[in-house]
Amino acid sequence: MKNNLEKARIGSPVITSTLRLIKGNPAIWAIFGLIMIFSVIVPEKFLSTGNLIAILKNFAVTSMLAVGPTFVILLGSIDVSYMGIWMFGGALVWLLYPYLGLASILIYPIFGLMIGLFNGVIHVKAKIPSFILTLAVTAVFAFLTTYVRNISGVLTLTVPAYNFLRESPIPYLPSPFLLALPVILIALFLMFFTKLGTYLCAIGSNEEGSKLAGINVEKYKILAFTISGLLTGLGSIAIFVHLGCQTRVDFDPSELVRGLAAIVLGGTPLAGGMGGPHRTLLGALVYVLIFNGLFLLPGVDPNHLKLYIGTLLLGAVVVASKALKGALIA
Amino acid sequence: MTQIGLSREWVQRNLNTIIPISGLLVLIIALRIANPYFLASWDSVITLVYGMSWFLIAACGLTLVILMGSFDFSVPSVLKLSAMIFAVLYPSLGFFSILVSLIVGLVFGLTNGILLARFNIPSFMATLATSMVAEGLAQVISGGYTRMITDPAFRAISTTMFLGLPSIFYWAILVWLLSIFMTFTTPFGRTIYAIGGNIIGTRLAGINVKKVRILVFMLCSLLASLSGILYAAQIQGAHMQVGVLDMIPLFASVVVGGTALTGGVGGVHRTLLGVLIIRWLDSGLSMVAIDLNVRMIVFGAIAIIMAILTIDRRRIKIMK
Amino acid sequence: MEGAKPLLEVRNVTKTFDKVVKALDNVSIEVGKNEIVSVVGENGAGKSTFMKIMVGVHQPDSGKMYYMGQEVPFPKNPLDALKRGISIVYQEKGVIPHLKVYQFLFLGLEEKFTKLGRLQLEKIISLARSVFEELGIKCDLVSSMYELPLSTQKMVEIARAILSIKLVVGEESKITPIIILDEPTAPLSIEERDELFSYLLSLKKSNSFIFVSHIIPEVMKFSDSIYVLRDGKLIAHHNVKLEKLSEEQLFKEIVGRESYHEVYAKYESAKIKDIDKRLVVLSIRELTKKGYYENISFDLHEGECIGLFGPAGCGKSEIARSLYGDIVADSGKIIVDNKVLKLKGEPHTRVKAGIGYFSGETGKELLLSWPIRKNISLVNFEKVTKTPLKIISVISFKAEKSLAEKIMNKLRIKAPSVETECYSLSGGNKQKVSVGKWLERSPRIMILEDPTIGIDVGAREDIYEALLEMKKNGISMILVSDDPKEYAILCDRIISIKDGVIQTTYTNEDFRKVIEL
Repeated sequence: MKNNLEKARIGSPVITSTLRLIKGNPAIWAIFGLIMIFSVIVPEKFLSTGNLIAILKNFAVTSMLAVGPTFVILLGSIDVSYMGIWMFGGALVWLLYPYLGLASILIYPIFGLMIGLFNGVIHVKAKIPSFILTLAVTAVFAFLTTYVRNISGVLTLTVPAYNFLRESPIPYLPSPFLLALPVILIALFLMFFTKLGTYLCAIGSNEEGSKLAGINVEKYKILAFTISGLLTGLGSIAIFVHLGCQTRVDFDPSELVRGLAAIVLGGTPLAGGMGGPHRTLLGALVYVLIFNGLFLLPGVDPNHLKLYIGTLLLGAVVVASKALKGALIA
Repeated sequence: MTQIGLSREWVQRNLNTIIPISGLLVLIIALRIANPYFLASWDSVITLVYGMSWFLIAACGLTLVILMGSFDFSVPSVLKLSAMIFAVLYPSLGFFSILVSLIVGLVFGLTNGILLARFNIPSFMATLATSMVAEGLAQVISGGYTRMITDPAFRAISTTMFLGLPSIFYWAILVWLLSIFMTFTTPFGRTIYAIGGNIIGTRLAGINVKKVRILVFMLCSLLASLSGILYAAQIQGAHMQVGVLDMIPLFASVVVGGTALTGGVGGVHRTLLGVLIIRWLDSGLSMVAIDLNVRMIVFGAIAIIMAILTIDRRRIKIMK
Repeated sequence: MEGAKPLLEVRNVTKTFDKVVKALDNVSIEVGKNEIVSVVGENGAGKSTFMKIMVGVHQPDSGKMYYMGQEVPFPKNPLDALKRGISIVYQEKGVIPHLKVYQFLFLGLEEKFTKLGRLQLEKIISLARSVFEELGIKCDLVSSMYELPLSTQKMVEIARAILSIKLVVGEESKITPIIILDEPTAPLSIEERDELFSYLLSLKKSNSFIFVSHIIPEVMKFSDSIYVLRDGKLIAHHNVKLEKLSEEQLFKEIVGRESYHEVYAKYESAKIKDIDKRLVVLSIRELTKKGYYENISFDLHEGECIGLFGPAGCGKSEIARSLYGDIVADSGKIIVDNKVLKLKGEPHTRVKAGIGYFSGETGKELLLSWPIRKNISLVNFEKVTKTPLKIISVISFKAEKSLAEKIMNKLRIKAPSVETECYSLSGGNKQKVSVGKWLERSPRIMILEDPTIGIDVGAREDIYEALLEMKKNGISMILVSDDPKEYAILCDRIISIKDGVIQTTYTNEDFRKVIEL
């Protein structure tokens, strides 16, 4: 123990912290490995500028679905309301655009915040398992979105006025990625530079102990859900822009799995207490790399996407299950 | 005074029985008022029976899993996959395709059970993953196309009329009665409740918890599979939309019957009530031209409200 | 005169729960400046109620609190207690395993280190470093709590308690923190204990400690004064500096010797005399689980009861639970009736091999929402099922009911009927249902873990009688408990264990001589 301390002082802080980072985030190895494999097998396709930009875009979308819920997973609970926030938030933006003008995009974070708060309060006060609760919320809002589309008599819920957001001011960096960046920074700030990250880990690691240490557990649980909703709301703007300033109108479970897969692949255990948004970002990158590279390979049928996603998630949860040993789980 | 206190206590204790029964009564009256043809002719009864029977079979399986305090998302997907396998293989294998279909169902259940019991993966996560695999497989074997079977023998397993009701009705009632018999009177059924009530204590009482969990997941998938097969026979084939919108109504009918999400409370016998309510509500709402999406929202809301009402709070220390 | 007025004094504290159970009865305790004061007693003596009153979790019914001679009200909540300089280190569950050391040290105390919502990590880490240097704790601040040795974890917890007082009261005020330590040594090995105690002695210069324990030698060694609680009453107060106190005397005061001779006489007939002539039912050979116990070997004879005796954390309960398959031993052999059992076997394989298990932790084994009848048949399916079709076994409710009634009568379980939900039973009756499950099953071997923890004397005796009847019927037992009396009542042989290694084997008489009962 003492030796470690000495080493840490002697060695350059950059190197030691990098080493620590790699040691704590096995997903980094996976990222290196995937890049190597695809660069060797399909170098022209994989390393083309267009494909790298596509990877960045998809990374932005996947990470925006997963970064918010990571805060809830730290607690050992789960939040899959992101599909609902993303879909119906977009419908609200579309509905309110005639009245609010360009400001209607702000509906996204507000709606996310409200749903997050609702989830938190119901989960904590009525003691409904978070997964079932947030799944029901997602389902309700997803169907509501389809309903809005149906009664409006349109095919898509597009707001062309936001098309200016699709132009990126910086070459090679697509605008969804730029829009996602602030959300990522906020998440990392909350995790590492405020007490929130510590508290959520503490509650996930030992709820009773956290109570004894004087933490208002209920408050922070609600806060975690609220932040999850808020970040998803903000992040949904990036997805909205990525899809061509429109929202999804039909519910697809494979999109739901995408967020969960990113979290699990990043190495945040579902039991809570460890990990954080940094791992989720890495996990999102792993997810995007796998599917980007996969479909560049000859003989891979994009129609079988669901089968691949299911198998990948299955493999990921089995690997991640090591952290859950010992407890009897429902 | 004591009389009032007693009755209030009685109401509270039996809340998860009173709500579904009174809900059903209100529903019947409302539907009758809204639509004078509701249950007016024998044909309308048969239509309802067709709508409910396959659904009840799948719901019975899901109830068993929820009684253990677990969850199974793969029910609709396994249902779809089984229907698809049955329809795709029927031309070449005939009724052996039923066997193949049921075996595939069992394999999915086994996988779910092992993922939960051996690898300790939360069941919702594990079954979400396997449901994606099942969806993917259904897509692969069907190529995404609708498979129609015109052979009358294929239909016969569900639609043969007996005493004025189609055979699928008797299948469903048989499954339901057997499930009730199993949960109430056999040691296996008793241990399902025990696991839902206190899994640690059940393990310490010397019961093979892993085995029971795996078996129940297998049973659930087997019933989903059976339901899919009978449904395929009923609609003369299978298509990719089978089961897509069934998860929420299935879940809703289990909790509306009064089975608590936390496990150990409720039972298969209640699920019939839940299925009646949800399916009648569904047909009632569609009769008055309510959009499918709105119906789903209604079911989702009902499910959550009932889940809140039925949860056994005395037991919960930490809810994740 | 500074020494005249104690730092903190409570007088005549009484606390009643549910209007009947007197948890504390007229207890008065003084804590001087820079003293270690011990509060000793058995489980249920009122120690934990006392602590909870001191830190504001409970409010007393009556009593007064004085701080430096001034009367003050009792603290209303833990924060209130902190403001007065009182903090507590809980026995377990206090440590949060996945937090980094500095995160844990400042958990809940971040307010002073936050600027515009941003945590000043550099400030926290440098303060943590200086605190650790001042208190002499050696560990890496950025490692996770679970990576530290248990003793260091405790030290960090103590440092956290001191720090929290200083941060709440303000660094500059010259308050002497009073730290309550709830059984701090329970999970520690002997070396770790010594380390912890030398640490406490070094901290004594600037702090006072209230040390709650039931381990006599360490209490004697490190306390300035000792208060003995029994059944909520203050039995004795010893000033260790002034008077000479023997361990034996303290022990007698803690357990209350007089009333027990009759009890032993009552159960004497159940002792077996011909151990060596009896059949060996269970042999354990070199059973080892790293970090818990090593090379455990012994033979259990038919109808014999062996007690595994030692301080909490010595590995005894892990041995018992490994035998039942609840946890897995690393190596060694468990042999029942000449058959070697798999170490990895789950509890159900052990039940098949003829082993039963009963733990007094109320509600751990029972299905509380189930009626008594169903709880009892859960381990007795063979007894209550019929197989009408040869393949399916069906539970007969009639058989269930008569079995449950039989057990209820035998154990004097107080409940309206066999259909009564276990929720509504008292602690003692719950435990009776729990042990009653095994009564009719009659396994060859019963493993008992704290069979009578936390229940009243009457229920205790009913359970002892049930267990001794099982013993007379030839059922062998292994007992693990925190209560030496229980060993004296139930066991024929007692194996004493220290740090996971067998020390000596006593006969019942020798054991009673050794522990002076």
